[in-house]
Amino acid sequence: MKKIPVIIDCDPGHDDAIALIIAFGCDALDIKAVTTCAGNQTPDKTLNNALRVLSFIEKYPIVAQGALVPIMRELMIAPEVHGESGLDGPKLPPPSFSPSQKNAGEVILDLLKTSNEKITLIPTGPLTNIGILLAAHPEIKEKIERIILMGGSAVGGNWTPGAEFNILVDPEAADIVFKSGIPIVMCGLDVTHKAMIFKDETEKFRQIGNKTGKLVAELLDFFDLFHRKEGFGFAGAPLHDPCAVAYAIDSSIFTSVDYFVEIETKGHHTLGATVVDFKRKTGQKNNVTVVLDLDREKFIDLMYSAVKNLI
Amino acid sequence: MQARIPVIIDCDTGVDDAVALICGLASDKLDIRAITVVAGNQTLDKTSINTLNLVDFLGYKVKVSKGAEMPLSRELITAENVHGRSGMGGVKLPEASERFYEKNAVETIAEEALAAKGQLEIIAVGPLTNIALAILAHPFLKESIKRITLMGGSIDGGNHTPAAEFNVYVDPEAAQVVMNSGIPIVMVGLEVTEKAYLTKMEIESLDFWHAKDETSKTIRALLENMLEICTMFGYKGAVMHDPLALCYVLDESLIKTKAMNIQVETQGEITRGKTVADRYLVTDRKPNALVGLEIDRLRFVELIKELLNKYSQVSNQQEKWRRKK
Repeated sequence: MKKIPVIIDCDPGHDDAIALIIAFGCDALDIKAVTTCAGNQTPDKTLNNALRVLSFIEKYPIVAQGALVPIMRELMIAPEVHGESGLDGPKLPPPSFSPSQKNAGEVILDLLKTSNEKITLIPTGPLTNIGILLAAHPEIKEKIERIILMGGSAVGGNWTPGAEFNILVDPEAADIVFKSGIPIVMCGLDVTHKAMIFKDETEKFRQIGNKTGKLVAELLDFFDLFHRKEGFGFAGAPLHDPCAVAYAIDSSIFTSVDYFVEIETKGHHTLGATVVDFKRKTGQKNNVTVVLDLDREKFIDLMYSAVKNLI
Repeated sequence: MQARIPVIIDCDTGVDDAVALICGLASDKLDIRAITVVAGNQTLDKTSINTLNLVDFLGYKVKVSKGAEMPLSRELITAENVHGRSGMGGVKLPEASERFYEKNAVETIAEEALAAKGQLEIIAVGPLTNIALAILAHPFLKESIKRITLMGGSIDGGNHTPAAEFNVYVDPEAAQVVMNSGIPIVMVGLEVTEKAYLTKMEIESLDFWHAKDETSKTIRALLENMLEICTMFGYKGAVMHDPLALCYVLDESLIKTKAMNIQVETQGEITRGKTVADRYLVTDRKPNALVGLEIDRLRFVELIKELLNKYSQVSNQQEKWRRKK
């Protein structure tokens, strides 16, 4: 089967790290580059984390660092969830290769320009890099197949009551992306909070017998802790970012509906809310495939097979 | 018999407001101290006269007070597309012989709260302008109103805009004042009101459906109007937004609620009037409202029918005057 050409833009982050592992472990994606943005941690840490994870699984794609801060706001990070390093928990050796000298936006632009087929973008962090790219080079939109992103939420937020973290960090960038006209698939909290992994399943990853399986289990051990706190009360850990990668690999395990979705960039309580026109009140054309549910067991199976393929 | 609950109903009549009033007036569990009227579904001149005419027509003697003509800090928006030019969806009522109570809504609320000695409940089914003004003007109300059960808001998505429910959209500042007043709030929002519908069959099984007296004909016309509009909007029946808030006060077991913190968006560009719920306790704000999440629809329908059927006995004007002593 022909592989799908993709670029992954991420801010590792535990779930970003697992998303990268799935992407490289599956055989459905042709990963043209991994670019990083600031979000879960500061930009140097997320870059370093991407390099460390890729070195660990012995995959060496083009890696490039993108914007250091959101388009017009101060950077907000999530050490509560991901720790000081952004990838606390497992012991990862330092990276064994270096990032590109070019900026993420330039790398993506070059890849799109020189590609003779459309490329799918998979952003799993704030949309700063993609937003800037689309605003600066609108003509390149036609080379983008679609954008499958982890972010947003049709109903309620996880960082503020109104907003999901990735969109909240850079709502202006999200606004550019959502208004771009490029087909967008939104894997928001509506689906990612259903994409739970439970303790016994984490153990299965640990018992695969390869070092990547052990890494995934250790990442989940740490990531799980935050989601046990009172407010979430989850029985497992929600695999946010792996949803976007899994959707690119096999969309048939997900359920979605197309809607018009807009980003709130001004609200006091709703800054960064992805407002979904469920009742189709606005008369605006659908711009987003809103992912609402998934076959959780198939999703875990998909992850499991991908991790097994790695060292 | 259990003591009746002293309540003020604040409304913007309004077709479903009218049904809520009809139900509330028929209930022997409520002691309706006053009905205060606000602008919303239509302008205040219309919503207030609709209320006065309805109460008079049904033969009750209850104070009806006029309230705010405009939201706290915005232009008024009405729902003429839903409630028609008169606000009553084309249902005509005879002109009332009674007059409005001489005090305005804010004074009436303060007066009744004092008289009820901490027991007064408010059932607010329109924009929250009157209630907010009362709380702002008479801070003692924060301690002396027992509870506000309001129809408004939505934690999942709106009906007027993608983000906001109509009542809160009209006066988000007022809603924010009420939500943060410290008074116990029950938010009966779209999550439950949209499930509180009466199907055509359920409506047509009312005892008086074929009766020829004016009261029966009027209630029937209101319900038929709701059914028509709601069906047009794609609902399975006549959606009883406002009556559900009233019915919660009559029987709390009809609605399953959860305590949450609700803040109202007043600054948003596309989220004006969104009632933002802190589901995952990501803020330090304490819960300020019981938010309705599920209803027992069949039991709700039974209660509504029971209340409306009380009017089936009323077959002529004399009967009505008998009740209005």
